Amino acid sequence: MPSSDSTNRTIKACGDDLLSIRLGVAKGAQAFAEQLRAADEWQEVVAGIDSVVVQFDATLITIDEARQQITAELAKGYTPKALADVLLEIPVVYGGEFGADFDAVCEQTGLSAKELIALHTGREYDVELVGFTPGFVYVGGLADALRIPRRKQPRQRVAAGSVGIADGRTGLYALAGPGGWPIIGRTTFTLFDPQAKDPFPVRVGMRIRFIAVSAAEAGL
Amino acid sequence: MSVEVLAPGLQTTIQAGARVGMRHLGVPASGAADPLSLALANRLLGNDLLAPALEVTLVGPTLRFNAPTAIALTGGVAQATLGGEPIEFHSTIIAKQGDELAIAAVEIGTRVYVAFAGGLQAQEMLGSCSTYMAAGFGGHQGRALVEGDVLQLQKQNTNTDVARTPQEYRPAFSSTWALRICRSAESDLLQDEQLGELTNTNWIIGRRADRMGMQLDGPMISVSSDGRMPSAPVFPGTIQCPGNGSPFMLSVDAGTTGGYPRIAQLARVDRHLLGQLCSGDHVRFLPRRPQEAIDALHAKHNYWREWLPGIERVI
Repeated sequence: MPSSDSTNRTIKACGDDLLSIRLGVAKGAQAFAEQLRAADEWQEVVAGIDSVVVQFDATLITIDEARQQITAELAKGYTPKALADVLLEIPVVYGGEFGADFDAVCEQTGLSAKELIALHTGREYDVELVGFTPGFVYVGGLADALRIPRRKQPRQRVAAGSVGIADGRTGLYALAGPGGWPIIGRTTFTLFDPQAKDPFPVRVGMRIRFIAVSAAEAGL
Repeated sequence: MSVEVLAPGLQTTIQAGARVGMRHLGVPASGAADPLSLALANRLLGNDLLAPALEVTLVGPTLRFNAPTAIALTGGVAQATLGGEPIEFHSTIIAKQGDELAIAAVEIGTRVYVAFAGGLQAQEMLGSCSTYMAAGFGGHQGRALVEGDVLQLQKQNTNTDVARTPQEYRPAFSSTWALRICRSAESDLLQDEQLGELTNTNWIIGRRADRMGMQLDGPMISVSSDGRMPSAPVFPGTIQCPGNGSPFMLSVDAGTTGGYPRIAQLARVDRHLLGQLCSGDHVRFLPRRPQEAIDALHAKHNYWREWLPGIERVI
């Protein structure tokens, strides 16, 4: 039986050790996930676009206890941490050997190289989601003129730090691997540092501005 | 204190425990696809139950020992020889310097585990030594073994008492499986008859079956949406059904979010079997309420605890 509170959020089992909390609001999901992670009582806390799923250890707590804890956390209320105040400046070397699809994207969009770079660097964006593969960052809010689909044929390997655009978003590849996003540049910003306490420093809710730099400035 | 790879087999990787607590960063569980078999192999050598060992897939490797080493094999059914002589699974085996270990094709099940006394040296990354091939980290250079690789052992150790797994703790392998599932977040999108189809069908594991996941071949399951939804969290054992009606079940290396309706979830008690399901195997899904599935997990833990103290960390 799904339980719900006054604002119609629902808690539903989606497995014997998984509870899904539907919140209805995207930013609410990320904020509530942050709050649950801070409590450090869950094996996994993963936010989707409009829901959060927690995984609990059924050898330590019962499903009813897990449900009660979630209800209590919901009752506390949650406020998005002030991540929106964090503005990351991400240097990008556009085109050339670091942006294998840059020229094709210019052709596809009818933009000159200068215009493409001006459009991409000309606004602030929100980090919408980190996930699917380790540290892959989805950055929302791309200008309509830059709205292009994914490559029909994904690449076997794109370099770590690759900057791609597709379907109205910018994607940042924290790790080298296969990739389907047209690549327009590369950043030397540390998206993954295995030695750091926080190996993936870019978090949902942070703001991002891309800065065009030369390969020499970036040290590439 | 090393082991040389003479032939790598189809896909042999170093696997240990899962990565936990980083799915929100896109880091999947990885780790042994059949952690129970990994634990059984390590148990025979006095290792930590989740010490790094080799996970062999369908076609086994040939290895040469450059120093005397105690080893143990568990998992799916396969022929294996050491120095040309057949060797048993579920028993401590002492390999001499220069001995070659050859593991043939896996006949029943999918994965065989080879553990080494003291464990293998492996790259630890994000809390585990397990190989995660898609991102190229962990294990041995983040990839499956290739001919000529040399694996280092943590320490030379042949003083292990020769142990054998008691008969009652040797898992039975078969090509027919019964797996307990619970409803998932979008099970409501299925009509009752579609839910019945899910649990009354003899599903066949499809041709594509790997550490990411596996197709389920059988009747079309239609979900009352176009089969797309906002990206939502998924886990090993999540059964999703896209608009084409052909469901698939995720395994340990699957990505952390998915955009298809989650129609069921393999219960924790049977998740360790994901690593042994083989293309062509038959699967029945047994519907369970969450509490029933958790009770079954406790019962399984109670059964195994005597031979594998700490089983709760394993399955």
